[in-house]
Amino acid sequence: MIAGKQYSLRRSDGITGFLFVLPAFILLLVFVFIPMAKAFYYSFNDYMLVSGSKTFVGLKNYADLLQDTKFLNSIKHTFYFAVIVIPVQTAIALGLALLVKPQFKYTGFFRTAFFVPVVISTAVAGTVFKLIYNRDFGLLNVLIGAVGIPKISLLSNADIAMNGVIILGIWKAAGFFMIVYLAGLNNIPQDLYESARVDGASKLQQFFYITLPLLKRTTAFIIIMTTIDAIKLSGIVFVLTSGGPNSSTETIVYFIYKTAFDQMQMGYASAAAFILFFMILIISVIQMLFLRSKVNY
Amino acid sequence: MKKLFSSMLTVTMLSIVLAACSNPGGDQSKNATNEPQNGGSSPKTETVTLKFWRPSGNDAENGAISKLIENFEAKNPGIKVDLENVPFDNYETKVRTALAGKTAGDIIAIDAPTMSSYANAGALYDLTSFMEADADLKDIPEGILQSMKYDGKYYIAPISEANIALFYNKKMFEAKGIPLPSKNVDEAWTWDQVLDAAKKLNDPAKGVYGIDPAQGFGGGEGPAYFKTPILWQFGAEVLSPDGSTAKGYLDSKEAKEALTFYQSLYQTYKVSPLELPPDPFPTGKVAMFVDGIWDLANFTTNFPNFKLGEDWDIAPLPKAKRQAMANGSWTFGVTADSKYPKEAWQLINYMTGTEGAKIYADMTGALPVRYSVVDQTPKMKEYPYSVFVGQLQKYSMPRPVTPAYPAVSAAIRELFEDVGQGNRDVNAAAADAVKKIDDAIEALKR
Repeated sequence: MIAGKQYSLRRSDGITGFLFVLPAFILLLVFVFIPMAKAFYYSFNDYMLVSGSKTFVGLKNYADLLQDTKFLNSIKHTFYFAVIVIPVQTAIALGLALLVKPQFKYTGFFRTAFFVPVVISTAVAGTVFKLIYNRDFGLLNVLIGAVGIPKISLLSNADIAMNGVIILGIWKAAGFFMIVYLAGLNNIPQDLYESARVDGASKLQQFFYITLPLLKRTTAFIIIMTTIDAIKLSGIVFVLTSGGPNSSTETIVYFIYKTAFDQMQMGYASAAAFILFFMILIISVIQMLFLRSKVNY
Repeated sequence: MKKLFSSMLTVTMLSIVLAACSNPGGDQSKNATNEPQNGGSSPKTETVTLKFWRPSGNDAENGAISKLIENFEAKNPGIKVDLENVPFDNYETKVRTALAGKTAGDIIAIDAPTMSSYANAGALYDLTSFMEADADLKDIPEGILQSMKYDGKYYIAPISEANIALFYNKKMFEAKGIPLPSKNVDEAWTWDQVLDAAKKLNDPAKGVYGIDPAQGFGGGEGPAYFKTPILWQFGAEVLSPDGSTAKGYLDSKEAKEALTFYQSLYQTYKVSPLELPPDPFPTGKVAMFVDGIWDLANFTTNFPNFKLGEDWDIAPLPKAKRQAMANGSWTFGVTADSKYPKEAWQLINYMTGTEGAKIYADMTGALPVRYSVVDQTPKMKEYPYSVFVGQLQKYSMPRPVTPAYPAVSAAIRELFEDVGQGNRDVNAAAADAVKKIDDAIEALKR
């Protein structure tokens, strides 16, 4: 009897739990998993957007993509962005967090000031930076001209254009990760620093032996998020450069969008999207393995 | 003549038959979907609801369309129009997705050069019989008629046109003692004359460039609209007449001349800015600026101290071997899945016919397509409008009409970026562009 009662209780609990999860599950199913499965199916088809004509072509889209210089270049541009942005932006975010952590009179002002770019819309930021970067009339060249540095053409020189995107990207996102680091810093118990001071550790030693190790989880989170954001880069490219000059700032997501909605090659674009998906998946898994922290406090 | 008459008769009969067929259909589906009939006092006419999608424009354009719909509904009590002004940036994406899902409106606004991909995909209703019956096609310039046709059939009707010309800073010309270009449509400057003037006007120390030949470098359809004409002016074409290849056309001797000239403006003579600041012309940063009629209103409103006739003027677009510029602006088409093609056509015919197009032109200041509307609008015969209207009627031609147009547009944008901004070898860049276009044409055949 008792066993049966327990069983039925557990069973009704199970149903209740299932009902609680059901709405969320249905939403996920309809808006995430089914579209993903369909897109995966389309990636094996020569699927054109407007006509909806579909012919199964197997792995042809994938094979073509791996020989498509435009796609390969977009991967190159994306990774150039990521490789620079991940360390630089993380370092800047940490630096900013350390700067605004101590409570002074104007701390609130600086925290806000550094966070403001995150709130500004990408379209506005892109337009303003376009003005700043302009070769002949922009603020940037006026400033560096005053110091005697020759003009730089961030918007028309294909060799350096990606750096313009990088500067805007970091300016726009560093403030967000500063806040995350700030939370991480505030989680480090003060007594650790006190005992370190008693033992005679310098500020630098405190940073390298207490702050940095104890921020490892935060850093791991930030690096993984930055990586995913960097690889998904597209908004800034849309407003700042439209992929130019000479396609030098075309990123993977930009390529996918253009292929799908301008060229209407949905199948081809879906295949590119899945290559991107697997790239992010693999990179994230590797990062999680490497950055796994054993420190608990 | 006899043949023409008999074919017109057939078309007329056909449209009567079509009309007869489509009316009961419309009524039936109306009965099925309409709300239950109320008190019986209302007139018994069944209403058809047409879904009409267009990208939201400026206030004048939106107002004009609303006015047209109001007039149309007053004249056709049986038809209701459900207008949706879609945000401009999302418009193409929304239409393309909806066409694939067969959920697009009955009437959709179409940017003329994208028509052939939609028509080729079977997404548009063939309007040929309607148009030949009651659109008065002789009232439309031949160059524009071509932009409305794909594979010999009419799919779209334009409500307005656009046109580009050479805007020049009169004060700067006078300061350097350069004779002013003519305002006569048939006396366009040659590109050599433009280059000569540009060299004299160019003043890097003061931050003044001689000429911006085609709106700098940007994304979207703008580059193809402004840069394809340069190829035409030098005597080149983009595609073979049958649209089967770009080889021998986009990489022809004439095309390479055009590209080399374009490149020299930026790289050899450095009279053109590689990076355009916002509003370069009214702020005096470029002395000559190729721009469209739509900026007339922009300059008058936003730069009241920069006066047409005093500070600046408009001349016909420069030529080389011939005069040419692109036509094809926003047009309307009926989707293939529409249940009410006949009613949809009635609305389009009203909006794009003489009466509707006149209202639209008056309210928006856009260029009218039809000769009759131009005749009824005195201001279109006067400078500065006369330059645009004259060019449109005499020298405008459609961008390549091919289902591979999206690829053509992208290839032309990249080609001019490559040679202008990237200073790339013209031969290699042209070869690349030809390959991109031919690959796309090939892919469509499968």
